[in-house]
Amino acid sequence: MSVLEENIKVVEGLVKFLGKKNILESKVPRARRAFVSVPREQLIDAVKYLRDEEDIKHVTTISGVDTGEDFEVVYHLRKPDLSISVKVRAPYDDPVVPSITGVLEGAVLYEREVYDMIGVKAEGHPDLKRLILAYDWPDGVHPLRKEWDIQSLRKRVDGTEWGRK
Amino acid sequence: MSEREFIVPVGPQHPALKEPESFLFKVDGEVVLDVEPRIGYNHRGIEKAMEARTYLQNLYIVERVCGICSNAHQTCYTQCVEEVLGMEIPERAKYLRVFMQELERIHSHLLWLGVAAHEIGFDTLFYYIWRDREVVMDLLEMVSGNRVNYAMPTIGGVRRDLEVADFPKYHKMLDTLKERTEYYIGVCSSEKTILERAIGVGYLSKEDAIRLSASGPNARCSGVSCDTRYDLPYLVYDEIPWNVIVETNGDVLGQVLVRVKEVLESVNICKYVLDNLPQGPIKAKYSPLGKVPEGEAVSLVEAQRGELIHYLQSRGDNKPYRYKIRAPTLGNIPSLVERLKGGFIADIPIVLAGIDPCFSCTDRMAFVDEGKDRRWDMTGEQLRRYGIRWYEK
Amino acid sequence: MALLTWARTRSPWLIHFNASACNACDIEVLAALTPRFDLERFGALLKGTPRHADVMVISGSVSRKVRDRLKRIYEQMPEPKFVVAVGSCAITGGVFQDCYNVMEGVDKVIPVDAYIPGCPPKPEAILDGVVKLLKSAGY
Repeated sequence: MSVLEENIKVVEGLVKFLGKKNILESKVPRARRAFVSVPREQLIDAVKYLRDEEDIKHVTTISGVDTGEDFEVVYHLRKPDLSISVKVRAPYDDPVVPSITGVLEGAVLYEREVYDMIGVKAEGHPDLKRLILAYDWPDGVHPLRKEWDIQSLRKRVDGTEWGRK
Repeated sequence: MSEREFIVPVGPQHPALKEPESFLFKVDGEVVLDVEPRIGYNHRGIEKAMEARTYLQNLYIVERVCGICSNAHQTCYTQCVEEVLGMEIPERAKYLRVFMQELERIHSHLLWLGVAAHEIGFDTLFYYIWRDREVVMDLLEMVSGNRVNYAMPTIGGVRRDLEVADFPKYHKMLDTLKERTEYYIGVCSSEKTILERAIGVGYLSKEDAIRLSASGPNARCSGVSCDTRYDLPYLVYDEIPWNVIVETNGDVLGQVLVRVKEVLESVNICKYVLDNLPQGPIKAKYSPLGKVPEGEAVSLVEAQRGELIHYLQSRGDNKPYRYKIRAPTLGNIPSLVERLKGGFIADIPIVLAGIDPCFSCTDRMAFVDEGKDRRWDMTGEQLRRYGIRWYEK
Repeated sequence: MALLTWARTRSPWLIHFNASACNACDIEVLAALTPRFDLERFGALLKGTPRHADVMVISGSVSRKVRDRLKRIYEQMPEPKFVVAVGSCAITGGVFQDCYNVMEGVDKVIPVDAYIPGCPPKPEAILDGVVKLLKSAGY
């Protein structure tokens, strides 16, 4: 069986496990890459299935995206010959996703980074606090949200405006 | 058991380049109980800046995420953008990218070896290695025009070509590197000063390395056979014959052996590329102001320190909508914490250097020894000398 | 006084500080100390603590978290002291000029005596810059 066929089998297994109505999107654009979109309530089950049935134990990173309508959190997992990205969405007024640190311990720092930069909380995280931004950075200002651009960020945090005069 | 409190914030400077970082150690006497890393001193806001620049402008800011892995970041970036563009780059360009990446791996590992020797107090070895490292710096300068920040990969291929007339010279330099590296393998495996500081220090088991998602030489020294070039092959790594280097020691000696042997592997890959370079163009057509179609891509590359990932979401503009970079060292921090636990304070510098950290960490190390109610700071230099004196006894 | 100047300029003890740099300038500063370029022939030694140093070599675009540390280290150095900004990031912020976490240049935080441009400057350029600084100090 070729690598592409094996990857498709993994995704089909996940779809079957969660039930078709729980998969919002799934694609295998090329060999060794897969993208799956699930509702946030199913995230823990999906990751557990991938860990137990497909031996996917390595978390590469977690990306937070401000899509303009809500927040999207992408979990990049991998094993030899497959990098699979599991996406969940959280609305603006409830930016919370379940934490996967109980299933995959390697995610502990990435969830803190997402919290710092985008403001999405990982519920159940053992120690959710700031990771990268300075100690005197104001609370509630999450730089990677689309409401901020660089000029307005500097003005808000520093009181100055950048400009090449 | 009485516990004492020591807080040792180490000054934010270190003679052997380290990036600013802060560590809070909980100690009991001489033994480290727990570690809390405090990073972020090097945060420049690159991901936000990338959303405001075109794809070609981003090539040069991505290069400067880290000066030692600059080529790895550029390779990963161009791969990501080319995947969303649906662009296929010429074969010759792929081989040249591999050549540059392996040369950078050689320079980075030799740099690390010198710094690790300095941490142990073996300054003579540090100067010897850095003198020999100049050979690969000269080679890089001849090929790309600069010693650091070469900007060789570009969207569509590579920027400069190699001249066949120079190949004998390159071969000779690579042979010198091979000979010197074999000498250093001998030194590191037999020199008592090194072995005493390296064997059994900073041990991490295979299960822990997998559980904490470690990658790169940090994981390979503990017996985990994971290498992005082999697991998720990119460029032409599935066509070139090479080996994944895995050691089972799990301690600092394992780190040393993995990296030094990888230098030899890289020299062999470079020589293979020079002998088997296909003819053809070095760049595919890409218009600098061109728009990238809507889509997303994940690009994974084996950088010198581990697995590097770039993630792009494009909305059909000529600027990225969201670009995510995760440098390998962030992924290696949980396993670093595990390595430090249970060790001595004197071992901290070498274990820290062992994972080859690449976040501007200002050796700011704080020690907390709950019990004696003392807070005490130590600079990286003081910690290094403390370690050397401790082992001299 | 002339004797003091003579002694001081012939043994400038350096301290290197990385203010959130990408490391490229740092490895070139370190390469300047290795046998091939040999900054030590001018009497320069790399020290680990600011209390023993005459010249502070800074690389990097100063980020918000590092700014206070930098000021504190500068204050810990004894007089007379000099500051050298290495690399375009230390001079103006370099390629990170419009990033939200970056101060535009070291001289917005502490006074600077010498600027060595480049990204990164070659070790020969760093040697040149340090020699020029020593000359201006009365070598």
